[in-house]
Amino acid sequence: MSNWTPLAILGLALGGAWAVVCIEQAVAGARVAPALLIRRAAEQLGQPLAVPAGRDAWLYHLAPPLLLVAAVVALATVPWAPGFRGVDLSTGAILFSAALAYVTPAVFMAGWGAGGPLAVLGGFRFIALMLGFAMPLAMVVTAVAAPAESLRPAAIVEVQHAVPMVVVQPLAAALFVPAAMAVALLAPFDLATAPTELGGGAFSQYTGLHAGLIALARKILVLAVAGMTAALFLAGWQGPFLPPAIWMALKTGAVVGGMLWAGRRLPRFELERLLTLAWVVAIPAALGVIVLAGLITLLFYR
Amino acid sequence: MISLPVVLTAAALLFAIGVYGALSQTNAIMVIMGIELMLGAAMLNAVGFMRYAWPDAASGAFFVLVVMTLMAVEATVGFALVIAAFRNRRTAELDDLTELKG
Amino acid sequence: MSDLATALVFWPSAAIMLVTGLYVFRTSSMARAGLLLLASLGIEGLIFLSLASEFLGVLQLLMMSGEMVIMVFFMVMFMADPGGLMGMDMTHDKRRSAAVAAGVAAALGAVAVATDWPGAVVTGAAPDIEQIGFEVMGRSMLSFLFAGMTILFAMVGGILLAKHGGRLGIPAPAGEPRDEEGAGAIGSALAGGEAGVEPGVEGEPEHPSHGSHAP
Repeated sequence: MSNWTPLAILGLALGGAWAVVCIEQAVAGARVAPALLIRRAAEQLGQPLAVPAGRDAWLYHLAPPLLLVAAVVALATVPWAPGFRGVDLSTGAILFSAALAYVTPAVFMAGWGAGGPLAVLGGFRFIALMLGFAMPLAMVVTAVAAPAESLRPAAIVEVQHAVPMVVVQPLAAALFVPAAMAVALLAPFDLATAPTELGGGAFSQYTGLHAGLIALARKILVLAVAGMTAALFLAGWQGPFLPPAIWMALKTGAVVGGMLWAGRRLPRFELERLLTLAWVVAIPAALGVIVLAGLITLLFYR
Repeated sequence: MISLPVVLTAAALLFAIGVYGALSQTNAIMVIMGIELMLGAAMLNAVGFMRYAWPDAASGAFFVLVVMTLMAVEATVGFALVIAAFRNRRTAELDDLTELKG
Repeated sequence: MSDLATALVFWPSAAIMLVTGLYVFRTSSMARAGLLLLASLGIEGLIFLSLASEFLGVLQLLMMSGEMVIMVFFMVMFMADPGGLMGMDMTHDKRRSAAVAAGVAAALGAVAVATDWPGAVVTGAAPDIEQIGFEVMGRSMLSFLFAGMTILFAMVGGILLAKHGGRLGIPAPAGEPRDEEGAGAIGSALAGGEAGVEPGVEGEPEHPSHGSHAP
């Protein structure tokens, strides 16, 4: 970690968010217009801030920064290239889960602070969803860390030099991707902010700078979970011929595209069915994944 | 600079806040929150001892892990009790649950 | 971390931790109380990070977020006035509680300051994950197993206690308002989730019996 690290993370967050928007436009089949985004952002920042009337208005104001901080910390834990990563802790994988865990209070604060019925409902939906999905997410991260014998994300990438983790632990990947999409508020799981069903849900009443911060935080969140998926399961920066950073960018871009494409193609889940899936299928399966990871580590990685 | 008594004093204050909450609140869930604060103070103590008195032992970290487990257990059982009380009495206010009071 | 960095993180964090901890019991809104508790205990995680252990700090941040969000959820479900809009007084014995708390603080503070603590040989190197792992799976394994068993028992006992009809499986008294009245869409959504946890135990037979016994 050098003195330039915060600046690099900031640049990565802004540039990455912009790239995510471009991918989103491409997936939607629209013309990719990078300049349009900047113009729209400028328009949005010019709007006045909406202030809710309730007594918990400070929660409403605190939610967008908290969401942004959680997203940026999650992004900082992703290993991008052998020499370049934001926070290189020996517990980086847990820090990633911990940062994502703060998305839940942020969304709840946004919904509760706004005070509108649909917003509050959105906040509660997200808590209910995350009670089911946060646990498989953290458990799968542990399982993937087992072969590397380290919770340092860079070490997890390095252990995949021969075989990507998605081949070794396909079940873990199958659990991680939906849970990550649910945390990042992506489409088939976006019950908290469903634009058609709840009219924007927890974030429906934000305008101006607030809305801009939330949009930015959501894009960074998508980038962070996609980058972590690429690092944990698709061997990160490892690959032939091309330089490591290019490989990582390609893989992350592909994961972002795949997630957004799935969001456009799949219908939104029903909350009851999704919760049943999480508690009855995902959590026991995640426990099984941990046991399997132990076996795989002992058999093949020692 | 920070030393062991400083950490312990901070933990003592946190513990006292927890005691105040657990004693003064009428709602069962607020009482659970007070107890969580007290357990948090215990964890802070353990970390302080680990850092300043026995820096090489991992037992302090293990103790913190056990306290975290304890927090989860306490919350689980507490919430279950609240649900049961609420089902039978339609209230979670401790002042209304006085059937066994002497 | 150097001593200066530790101090720079510790003092503000400790102050915020104590202030938010105190305000948990001063606010009347339950959502606010739960989130303040999250702030208090989450910032305690920052103190752990500054003091000793990266692992414990990060773990504290992760665990407290999950636990306090559940806490907020339960508070909003079971409090009479979750939004704090009616100005209800949720306290009793305020003065005596404050006196007891002040006494506890004084006693513990006196012990903390007056005792001649041993050692204080600061090497700065806190035990890392590997050491903690060997501790958990080595010398302290029995205690750890015991903790695991305890949490298992707590889970089973909690579900038994909380499930409809209690541990004896007595059906609900007729006419008792159930999930239909609860919290509308949220309540029914949760009921769906809970029924999913225990598909065989908390099951369908109770629903018809409830309906048929109603006068």
